[in-house]
Amino acid sequence: MSALILWLRDPNPQSRGQARLGQAYLNWLRLRRNPLAVIGLAIAVALVFIAIFAPLLAPHDPITQELSRRLLPPGTPGNILGTDDFGRDILSRILYGSRITLYIVLLVILTAPVVGLLIGTVAGYFGGWTDTILMRITDIFLAFPKLILALALVAVLGPGMENAVLAIALTSWPPYARVARAETLTVRNADYIAAVKLQGAGAVRVIWGHVMPMCLPSVIIRVTLDMAGVILIAAGLGFLGLGVQPPLPEWGLMISAGRKFLFEQWWVATMPGLAIFIVSLGFNLLGDGLRDVLDPKSASK
Amino acid sequence: MLIEIENLSVTFHAQGRVVRAVQDVSLSVNARESFGLVGESGSGKSTILRAICGLAPISGGSIRINGKPIATPRGKAFSRQVQMVFQDPYASLHPRHTIDRTLSEPLAIHGLPGTDQRISQALTDVGLPTAFRFRYPHQLSGGQRQRVAIARALMLEPEILLLDEPTSALDASVQAETLNLLSRLRAERGLTFLMVSHDLAVIDHMCDRVLVMQHGRAVEELTREALASAQMKTDYARALFAASADRMLQG
Repeated sequence: MSALILWLRDPNPQSRGQARLGQAYLNWLRLRRNPLAVIGLAIAVALVFIAIFAPLLAPHDPITQELSRRLLPPGTPGNILGTDDFGRDILSRILYGSRITLYIVLLVILTAPVVGLLIGTVAGYFGGWTDTILMRITDIFLAFPKLILALALVAVLGPGMENAVLAIALTSWPPYARVARAETLTVRNADYIAAVKLQGAGAVRVIWGHVMPMCLPSVIIRVTLDMAGVILIAAGLGFLGLGVQPPLPEWGLMISAGRKFLFEQWWVATMPGLAIFIVSLGFNLLGDGLRDVLDPKSASK
Repeated sequence: MLIEIENLSVTFHAQGRVVRAVQDVSLSVNARESFGLVGESGSGKSTILRAICGLAPISGGSIRINGKPIATPRGKAFSRQVQMVFQDPYASLHPRHTIDRTLSEPLAIHGLPGTDQRISQALTDVGLPTAFRFRYPHQLSGGQRQRVAIARALMLEPEILLLDEPTSALDASVQAETLNLLSRLRAERGLTFLMVSHDLAVIDHMCDRVLVMQHGRAVEELTREALASAQMKTDYARALFAASADRMLQG
């Protein structure tokens, strides 16, 4: 272990990989100093862990109904968090629901920031007409409230998980384009960009290899802070019946189902609500911590 | 003549204002010569270098290298002929690229072979240990960074090196080392320097001829001998000389 740390902290790395891992290790040390960020990271890691091992962790099947055991309160032996109106174990449904949440989050992470980064850096780097056209398109997308636009898209495409993801991705890229463009404008005229242009580099190489790495930290921070919003929109679409369809255990859908008995059987809606709350909080804490670690202004010193 | 600049003008248009940064400046530099541009801040000396590189808009006049007008956009052939060292080594190296990445980029752009060996050689040539190869710029001092910037400019083995106040961001002891490194490299490789400075002491140490500039115009061209014996014809050149004369005598 200590040999590994020495290798990571080597001031004269022997390879690109070692240099990169060394930087990652320093970032980890910086993140570790912030206890709230570590809690956020732990929640995010726990979400991934639970999603992978849901079948092993869940005491019951999330879909099988058992009407003789419906609406049991939390603390009942065998159903720690109680059961819903079809007698399904709420804990099992929440554990399985993490898979759907994680799936949506991952798909959105893989699409929206990539599109936003590409549009933002291209607009910022070329300026002029390219910039005007791309940013006005971005403005049009930004002008609609996210959930309304997502609703409209789902209404056109039809309800379902994939369409919900598509709708969320299509509504959440504009802020990333904005952030990336702003960062690009600050680095576009830097000497190191002038130097690589002078070496004969084309626009693709400059944008991909030199501009994007400078925009990435801001976008990553923004993504982690937006994750809570993505989970909430997914839950909102589920709640409105336009996202994931029953009987799949999606958290928003579970809240929607529990709304009917909110006063008598509060736990049916509250437990998935708590799950959404904890995961959103975790991503927010992690995002705040990452901002301190990755902020280019503090890291360049 | 390797570099010929004739009646060069550079005009910037910003928010309705017109700034004439360079007006009708002509100069020519022989092969293997070291030519200096000197003047106060805002006299347009750096703009001439940036205009040669295509980083500033040329509004009039012509620039020829080896008798041929330079192409717009500059292109890969130009970059193998002319390279530039920037003023601030804290701003001219990509903060998220290792030294290795910075130095291998020109080789990758031009598809040159033997990356490992060339990078080690380049680091040795500028007096840096090869162990620094995978460091990031923030793990180097200002002087070391400027050495990396010089190594980068030499990766493509250009004939002409444009130097934009290469030492003004460094402290005094490192300045001398860097200037000596540049002189050595010029002698070894037969480079042609076009060097900008506001410091006549640096110009006196480095350059065979110097052009004094003020407010975007050429004031007077001096040889090193004329500079050393203070034979200026214009008042402005004399005043500039007087301001740095005490340090020149020390040097």
